[in-house]
Amino acid sequence: MLKIAFRNIFRQRRRTVLTALAMIVGFTLSSVFIGWSDGAYSDIISMFTRNRIGHIQVHRAGYLDKPSLYDVIEGYESIGEKIAGVDGVEAWTPRIYSAGLGSVGDKTMGVQIIGVDVGREVKATQFDRKITRGAIFSDAAREAILGVGLARILKADVGREIVLVTQGTDGAIANDLYTIIGIAKSGDKATDRMACYLHINDAQDLLVLNGRVHEIAVIAEALDRVPKITAAIEAQINDAKLEVSPWQVVAKSFYRAMQADRQGDLIGRMIIMLIVAIGVLNTVLMSVLERTREYGVLKAMGTKPSQIFGVVVAEVTFIALGSIIIGAMCGASLNYLLSIYGISLPQEFSYGGIVFQTMYAAVTVRSLAIPAVTVLVSAIFVSLFPALRAARIAPASAMRTH
Amino acid sequence: MAPVIVTEGVTRVYSDDGVPVHALRGIDLTIERGEFAALVGPSGSGKTTFLNVISGLDTPTDGKVWLNGKLLSRMSGNALSDFRRDNIGFVFQAYNLIPVLTVEENIEYIMLLQKIPKAERHERVLAILDEVGLGGMESRKPTQLSGGQQQRVAIARAMVSQPATIMADEPTANLDSKIGAELLDMMYRLNMQTEMTFIFSTHDPMVMARARRLITLKDGQIERDEVRSP
Ligand SMILES: Nc1ncnc2c1ncn2[C@@H]1O[C@H](COP(=O)(O)OP(=O)(O)O)[C@@H](O)[C@H]1O
Ligand SMILES: [Mg+2]
Repeated sequence: MLKIAFRNIFRQRRRTVLTALAMIVGFTLSSVFIGWSDGAYSDIISMFTRNRIGHIQVHRAGYLDKPSLYDVIEGYESIGEKIAGVDGVEAWTPRIYSAGLGSVGDKTMGVQIIGVDVGREVKATQFDRKITRGAIFSDAAREAILGVGLARILKADVGREIVLVTQGTDGAIANDLYTIIGIAKSGDKATDRMACYLHINDAQDLLVLNGRVHEIAVIAEALDRVPKITAAIEAQINDAKLEVSPWQVVAKSFYRAMQADRQGDLIGRMIIMLIVAIGVLNTVLMSVLERTREYGVLKAMGTKPSQIFGVVVAEVTFIALGSIIIGAMCGASLNYLLSIYGISLPQEFSYGGIVFQTMYAAVTVRSLAIPAVTVLVSAIFVSLFPALRAARIAPASAMRTH
Repeated sequence: MAPVIVTEGVTRVYSDDGVPVHALRGIDLTIERGEFAALVGPSGSGKTTFLNVISGLDTPTDGKVWLNGKLLSRMSGNALSDFRRDNIGFVFQAYNLIPVLTVEENIEYIMLLQKIPKAERHERVLAILDEVGLGGMESRKPTQLSGGQQQRVAIARAMVSQPATIMADEPTANLDSKIGAELLDMMYRLNMQTEMTFIFSTHDPMVMARARRLITLKDGQIERDEVRSP
């Protein structure tokens, strides 16, 4: 029975080739589509996490839901040491956050004061690369770096001074004067409109934090190891007052947006498969029609309808499996090439505040498994109808000469 | 001896675009084991329809058909498939071999459905090929054979599982008369050697001359039924 199905493949070579070609093209297209979007997504995610929020963050429990000046991490340096000891951690960096007012000349704006450890921040999130004008912090006291948006609003530039007014942990109003030494562009417009970076020691002095911080951002060696590393850090710190959160939790809405986008390509893939399916339906129906007499003969001789059904489905399945193998080779090699050379976009493209110029594909299991399953399932699904038709052929048709 | 086929008032009405076509109009017939009977009559007289009905390929509009003592209308689809497989061998006018299978694979097909072991299948294929004079051709494809040879393969395929009855619808219509005569002589010999019943339709006088019983149909009715000594 399978022999008949298998040999039927080679009867109408041109038709088989066309059917297979539809499947191969569909497979390859969707494989590249997925590989490309996987590549783009992992680029977006790694830029968003690596260069900004970090892969993992440690806070006082509850801080993420409701950030407060008073929810601090005590003894962050020793915690940092512990984190650095966890396998797979590349870097860590402490941060302080507070809201305040900033004035340059006669302009005043609400600002977000961000205290950073320059050396660590550069190592972890390449902070130095975000400076578009001026310089990064030196060892001098009371230096500030403004986000580009904020600098524009305050009409501030390198060399001028900014007055920051805020409230310290002691409850008293705190203010001080800082020299603007640089302008930073983080890639996120909302941040850039608010951010006023200070050296971590200056921020601690201003806010009366006495060596305490609000956040430790951690960079992992690889994105896909984040869940494991998160758990390892949790075990290492072993402090119920602290909370260790992976980027998916820290940036919930970003994460959800990424997930939603993936469902978007699902629809795209379905459309591609629909095209394949229609192509397959046509050719399979044609060959069933052409072989009416033959299937009639098989039925006259005592073949059961279910067995005829099987012959038709098996033939399509064979073609689909062959196409999947060829399609996988095409898809994987195209994705591989695209992962090396990428595609330069004619126009800069920005997603979630991150700007892309070249997009790279990735060779992922998903980019092969999803098209394989989709091609196989849709091919078999589509063959059911012609197979049913073949199974229902009246055996008496074998007797008919015309 | 038990009859192989008994029909009682068999009628078959086709509906051709809503217009009823009376292909069979009440046929009562009994065929005994081992007969070599020809259904004759002009084109359109109902020969093919009758063969279909008595072999269970088609269901009569009215009337009853017993095959080997079994009432066909009582059988379900799958039981009928199995019954056909085990009791009837078919030879069609247009040979109807499966083009993608070799001669051997075509012949062993029914035995495969019957789950007969490979060694036995092979042995029986070789034996029957010798019988029909095609020894050594088992691995050829049907397209590599002449029409007469293909029809011999079809006869071998029909006979190999030793069904009680061989039904052939105009088996010689696509062959020239000399080859057709040879084929019929062969069928006659096989009929004599075995217990198998042969029923075939024809409108070829040369074929009729070899039949031991001539059943003449006209407009879906039996016009004449004569037993002859060839
Ligand atoms: N499937 C069908 N639909 C409608 N009419 C049919 C069909 N098959 C046969 N007939 C009609 O039934 C009659 C008998 O046909 P058939 O049994 O093929 O005769 P024969 O084999 O003797 O030539 C003819 O009039 C034919 O046109
Ligand atoms: Mg006919």
